[in-house]
Amino acid sequence: MERNNIENNNNNLVEVINLKKYFSVGKKKLKAVDDVSLSIKRGETLGLVGESGCGKSTLGRTIVRIYEPDGGKIFYDGKDITRIKTRKEHLDFCKKAQIIFQDPYASLDPYMTVGQIISEGFEIHNMYKENGARKEKVHELLRLVGLNDEHSNRFPHEFSGGQRQRISIARALAINPEFIVCDEPISALDVSIQSQIINLMNELKEKMRLAYLFISHDLNAVRYVSDRIAVMYLGSLMEVAESDTLYNQPRHPYTQALMSAVPVPDPKKEREKERILLEGDVPSPIDVPPGCPFSTRCPYAEAICLKEKPELRDLGDGHHIACHMAG
Amino acid sequence: MAERNIMTKHERKYDLYRKQYCSRKLKDSENILEVEDLRVSFDTYAGEVKAVRGVTFHVKKSEILAIVGESGCGKTVTSQTLMKLNPMPPARIISGDIIIDGWDIVKMPEPAMQTIRGNLISMVFQDPMTYLNPTKTVGKQIGEALMVHGKATRKNVYEKVIDILNLVKMPEPERRYRQFPHEFSGGMRQRVIIAIALACSPKILIADEPTTALDVTIQAQILSLIKELREKTGTACILITHDLGVVANMADRVAVMYAGKIIETGTSDEIFYNPKHPYTWGLLESRPRPDHKKTERLMSIEGTPPDLFAPPQYCAFADRCEYAMKICREREPVNTALSPTHQCSCWLLHPDAPGVERRSGSSFALKTSDAGSVTKQASKPEASGTSQEERRGAGGVNSGKK
Repeated sequence: MERNNIENNNNNLVEVINLKKYFSVGKKKLKAVDDVSLSIKRGETLGLVGESGCGKSTLGRTIVRIYEPDGGKIFYDGKDITRIKTRKEHLDFCKKAQIIFQDPYASLDPYMTVGQIISEGFEIHNMYKENGARKEKVHELLRLVGLNDEHSNRFPHEFSGGQRQRISIARALAINPEFIVCDEPISALDVSIQSQIINLMNELKEKMRLAYLFISHDLNAVRYVSDRIAVMYLGSLMEVAESDTLYNQPRHPYTQALMSAVPVPDPKKEREKERILLEGDVPSPIDVPPGCPFSTRCPYAEAICLKEKPELRDLGDGHHIACHMAG
Repeated sequence: MAERNIMTKHERKYDLYRKQYCSRKLKDSENILEVEDLRVSFDTYAGEVKAVRGVTFHVKKSEILAIVGESGCGKTVTSQTLMKLNPMPPARIISGDIIIDGWDIVKMPEPAMQTIRGNLISMVFQDPMTYLNPTKTVGKQIGEALMVHGKATRKNVYEKVIDILNLVKMPEPERRYRQFPHEFSGGMRQRVIIAIALACSPKILIADEPTTALDVTIQAQILSLIKELREKTGTACILITHDLGVVANMADRVAVMYAGKIIETGTSDEIFYNPKHPYTWGLLESRPRPDHKKTERLMSIEGTPPDLFAPPQYCAFADRCEYAMKICREREPVNTALSPTHQCSCWLLHPDAPGVERRSGSSFALKTSDAGSVTKQASKPEASGTSQEERRGAGGVNSGKK
């Protein structure tokens, strides 16, 4: 099923078209990402939210080609990166797109010093070849993320969670990428540290004109950092909109429930708020319900929802929604 | 069998311990739990970690008290000490009093504790999978809680467990009874944990980050379940969390903990709308709110909590506090009562302290820059409030401008 209404235009840095990523579980297929199309402009932050197991991390990882997609196309800067064959082409892509992982305790090699971790990219891409220049650049990056020069000789275990996440960010920034996939960069951190990292990422975005794919399940944080937000459920996109629009006028029943479930740190608002409580749990991604994936929990589901999977359609103003009922 | 007239084994044991340990009077008959100046330390090879350093609080009947704070501030240790769940040694209650409905917890030995755990006070944990036995069916595990306390016999345990599963709104309880924990989703497992905790209708339920491992939609389900159960059973609840949104939703009163002490306590409205401690301000401002503008920076508390091997003899927050004065680095602040329910320990509330105003939004400002008493941080020119960005930069981002 090819979709023609989304075309690869040059404004978009990343363009994902009908992307599929399946995993084999025994004889069955787990559809982690099922027919997802989205785009990210230069210098834009796209938030990606959804419950755990909905495929948001898989989508992020597939976009930077950690996973090989099972179908669909990914255009980066007009180039189809799913067709990359040679190592050189692959390196060219890696140089532009980087990823920050969720767990800063697991994503840094404990045997390498911070300096080695950050300069690994220089070696791979043959950058800053003179010895002095490389060191200088490492120090510059450390200062950029709020650490000191002397930290480059230390090992990851000597740092706290927030500092480690800063190291991950420095590593991602080392080779001057244009696009960074941030896979739950703040979930593993303490509340007061989270705000430091969010501030840092926002600042770097301004300074280096980065585009982010910001994956998180913390809806308040996503709203704060993102220009646009995509809501994912069971491998499919439910709604894509400008972040304020999505929060103020969510159209999809799932987004509405999700937004009403977010607790706000304000007792009066909490008391007045009407919560839409969803019944039951997310179905297993191995047996995705036929038709709309949300139909099993949707309060408005009707016959058509159980049969036909809704397409993501445009409501105007870049507000996309995949629902038969809402309009 | 003649069960009716004879006390069961469990009842005899409970009665014996009750005579021995349940004789303390609560200061206020409204209260169900009173903790007085509790100090808990851990003996490690590196030295003594003073995890809880003099905590005093109370919980009223059928009230939800939320304890908030960063990780490592002692909130979990405090709550585990209420049930004496932390292994002793290395943990040690240095001093203090814990009275739950007349029971003197500090003096009670382990066998006596076992008769009241689950019975009088019980706990819901953060990660449901680690606390369920993977080799036993869920029904057995809930039944076990009932049987241990003699609340059910082998004959009627099935019906009672089904009743409890219905209470926590488990769909298809008869089928679920026979299933193993791995067949349950995260939210359903948490329901099982809550079912076990409530099986013997305790008077206090401690919920230690009950929804941190869950998704928001499931979190909403579990929170509304806990609230509903409180209405139905009248169980008081101590909710431990770092999510202020959850606190706003659930709590009647809030206690803010920092470095092993309660630094501010008050009703939920007092803490959210009229907080007095700079740490509480920081906590409230560091979360992005729905009305936060993107151009505003998030407020963040720079630095890290103090080392509890050697906690400072002065205010533990002074080293991270923007308003720290000379006195803050010399002496522990005293507890100031602002209303019958609202208390705060901070030198800023002292009558001689300079007036400091908390500005909503992303920045703080000193109202009067009293150069004499304002030290170090505050006396730097940056602290005047205008060059906020730069000061943040010192800890947050060392900008490339330099």
